[in-house]
Amino acid sequence: MILDLIQNSFDGLAMGASYALLAVGFTLVFGVLRRVNLSYGPAIMFGCYAATWVSFSFHSNIFLLLGIAVLGSVLAGTYVERLCFAPHHKGSAIAAMVASFALWMQFEEVVTLVMPKHLYDFPPMFDAEPLAIGPLSLRAEALVMLACALAICFALHRMLYRSRFGLALRAVTDAPVAAQLAGINVPRVLLLVFLLASAIGGLAGWLIVSTHTQVTPMLGMWSTLKGLLAMMIGGLGSLPGAVIGGLALGVLEAHSQWFLGPQARDLIAYLLLFVLLAWRPRWMTTSHG
Amino acid sequence: MGVLTNIGLISFVALSAYLLILAGEMSFGQQGFFGVGAYTAGVATAMYGVPLPIAALMAMGAGAAAAFLVGLPTLRLRGLYFAMATLAAAEMLRIVFELIHFQREIDGEPVGPDGTQGFRGIRWVFENGVEREGYLAMVWGLLFVVVILFLIVERSKLGATLRMLGEDPELARMLGIHVERFKLGVVATAGALAALGGALYAHHNTYIEPRNFDIMLGVHSLAYALIGGLGTVFGPLLGVLIDIGALEGSRVFHGYRMIVFGGLVAVLLIFRPRGLLDERVVHWLKRRLA
Amino acid sequence: MTALLEVRDLVTAYGKIEALKGVNLDVQQGSITCLLGPNGAGKTTLMMTIAGILRPRIGSIRFAGEEIAGRPPHAIVAGGAALVPENRLVFPNMTVLDNLHAGAYQRKDDFASDIERLFTRFPRLKERSTQLAGTLSGGEQQMLAVARALMSRPKLLLMDEPSLGLAPLVVEEIFRIITQLHQDGVSIFLVEQNAHMALKVAQHFYLMEQGKVTFSGTPGALAEDEVIRRAYLGSARA
Ligand SMILES: Nc1ncnc2c1ncn2[C@@H]1O[C@H](COP(=O)(O)OP(=O)(O)O)[C@@H](O)[C@H]1O
Ligand SMILES: [Mg+2]
Repeated sequence: MILDLIQNSFDGLAMGASYALLAVGFTLVFGVLRRVNLSYGPAIMFGCYAATWVSFSFHSNIFLLLGIAVLGSVLAGTYVERLCFAPHHKGSAIAAMVASFALWMQFEEVVTLVMPKHLYDFPPMFDAEPLAIGPLSLRAEALVMLACALAICFALHRMLYRSRFGLALRAVTDAPVAAQLAGINVPRVLLLVFLLASAIGGLAGWLIVSTHTQVTPMLGMWSTLKGLLAMMIGGLGSLPGAVIGGLALGVLEAHSQWFLGPQARDLIAYLLLFVLLAWRPRWMTTSHG
Repeated sequence: MGVLTNIGLISFVALSAYLLILAGEMSFGQQGFFGVGAYTAGVATAMYGVPLPIAALMAMGAGAAAAFLVGLPTLRLRGLYFAMATLAAAEMLRIVFELIHFQREIDGEPVGPDGTQGFRGIRWVFENGVEREGYLAMVWGLLFVVVILFLIVERSKLGATLRMLGEDPELARMLGIHVERFKLGVVATAGALAALGGALYAHHNTYIEPRNFDIMLGVHSLAYALIGGLGTVFGPLLGVLIDIGALEGSRVFHGYRMIVFGGLVAVLLIFRPRGLLDERVVHWLKRRLA
Repeated sequence: MTALLEVRDLVTAYGKIEALKGVNLDVQQGSITCLLGPNGAGKTTLMMTIAGILRPRIGSIRFAGEEIAGRPPHAIVAGGAALVPENRLVFPNMTVLDNLHAGAYQRKDDFASDIERLFTRFPRLKERSTQLAGTLSGGEQQMLAVARALMSRPKLLLMDEPSLGLAPLVVEEIFRIITQLHQDGVSIFLVEQNAHMALKVAQHFYLMEQGKVTFSGTPGALAEDEVIRRAYLGSARA
């Protein structure tokens, strides 16, 4: 029983690390633009499909694939930013969100046109056996993912408070007009944030598909929903919050799946989100950091 | 024929999303109430022999009740928070549909919702000798009634209050409007409207499954309202027409439909962020026609 | 003297409503020029158009001999004009020091000495350098907004109602700083409601009403104009 609990928590943290990475990308965009990019997951899926295609056609060096996944989702992200967000900076948040949904449809169709099968294999990160710690087992991929999530969160935090770009980012978030008056090229900062978030998304996507060793068109919706969920649970707009939200979501899901089954797992995750939104504890409404 | 009926059916959800946008709320969850309507009416006719008109009313009641329950704790939320709360609620409803195994033997066959296997044999329309044309007429007739109701409301004081609520809730509050109570009414009405669409949908398809009611439908209905235009009730209908009608109807874009439609929507929103039939166009048209 | 800033036939609109209906004015190199006008005249609109936040519909803005109308704000800061906006608009969730760093965003050289100099000019800011700007008093925020604009080393400082809502002592302080800056060689284009204070410092005045310049002249001419005197100097006239 206790062992189950610990093992579940391990599995949950592993899954949660991927949610955390997704949420970090979401948070970066939301924190600055106050806009939700529904195409965030589909752009990641696009990158992962590009990597899958390369691995089938040419090569499957995992680092090459990582590069392709990141590049693909950055490209897709640029397309989304130019078409859905840059034109709506001053305008309607809902128009931007619906436009990003429209592009989601495009990504799904493009991907299924080129690669119509329901499921594709993706090369694993490495062929390591799960690490055994006494009776417990822990996948090495999970450790890599956790390490990546923490490292990226740390790097972003440093970037925000130690670099010129970070200063611009905070200024744009805090008072966009004042940022313009201070001589910051705001549209460019917003584009760069988007690209940064897409690159992190690409990395997250690669980690996820090479852990699961398969790619399906569901990856797009899954990434958007899990990223959003983790971001909201973590309190919207705070990077450490996004990581904690992701990990908490992962652990919660692991336990509820173990004890109650897969449907209950999703039900409980959405219930938690709903209750948190309705109740709105302090940390969900204050967003900074 | 199927296309025409589909346009009619999806229009109900699009209109329910539109109604909420008018009141200043963006819902990602209207598909949930559409599903509640579909399941309620399906259970009523297929399992208990209730006539469809009554079943549709029951569906509307259930949809309104579900929306009310979702609306009550989320009233104070705005923008993304409300959108996410409604999405969470709709996803919970979808998972509940996956968990419902509730069947009865009818003529030696088990009938009723069977979890992810879906719910087959919602055959009231066929068993009661309604032709496809007849059903189409019924769907469009009901849609016509709903549109007329919208038009009446939009011209009335109620409609002005609704738009004020959307544009400036603080002003509405100062003018003595019970913002929360009013909004709850709007949420419940929108839920009933979506549920009516769901009831009709179930009886058109005779088969429903939880997957039909996922986020895709919800965001689509929002997109229909937004591309068609927020200036008039005909906006969402135009949105549905453009997508299902023009693109699915003509087979030219077969296989590329989403690429074309998605690109079209994104570009359109750059130039018309409140849709084709936005308030300005509607104002201009009205002056023209008057 | 040559004109540092030349505004010609400038029209800026919000939707269909034209807030500027063909504005003409000059700011001479090395001068303090003051723009007066009632609320809603279009003064803020003019400032925002010069700073590049708003795009003019027609007309020309020449700054240091170059056409800048329609350029993005960061290009205008790079050209050497900085705006201290109405209602201060500091970065409330950033420290005072970070606010200043943001003001120097485009500078590639070392600006540590600038910060030192600004801290001697605004000792209050030094005391509060690690405090969040949003926690400062109104007067301190105004000082910070001025200091932030100065961090870009502008040739022309645009100021939109710097005395708005401040206590009389603080207003005097602000005007003292304006004269100091002027002595340091910065040209200043100032929007003011407080005509009394402005009369003491400015060399040239414009009056704007309903989107148009309706008066242009020296402090002497301004004080002699009966209509203006009644509207802006009022009973407080000594
Ligand atoms: N964002 C805006 N949208 C629409 N009209 C505006 C906006 N800002 C200002 N106006 C209008 O433009 C006119 C000029 O305003 P403004 O430039 O702020 O005047 P001032 O600074 O002289 O008080 C006013 O009639 C005002 O109502
Ligand atoms: Mg003003």
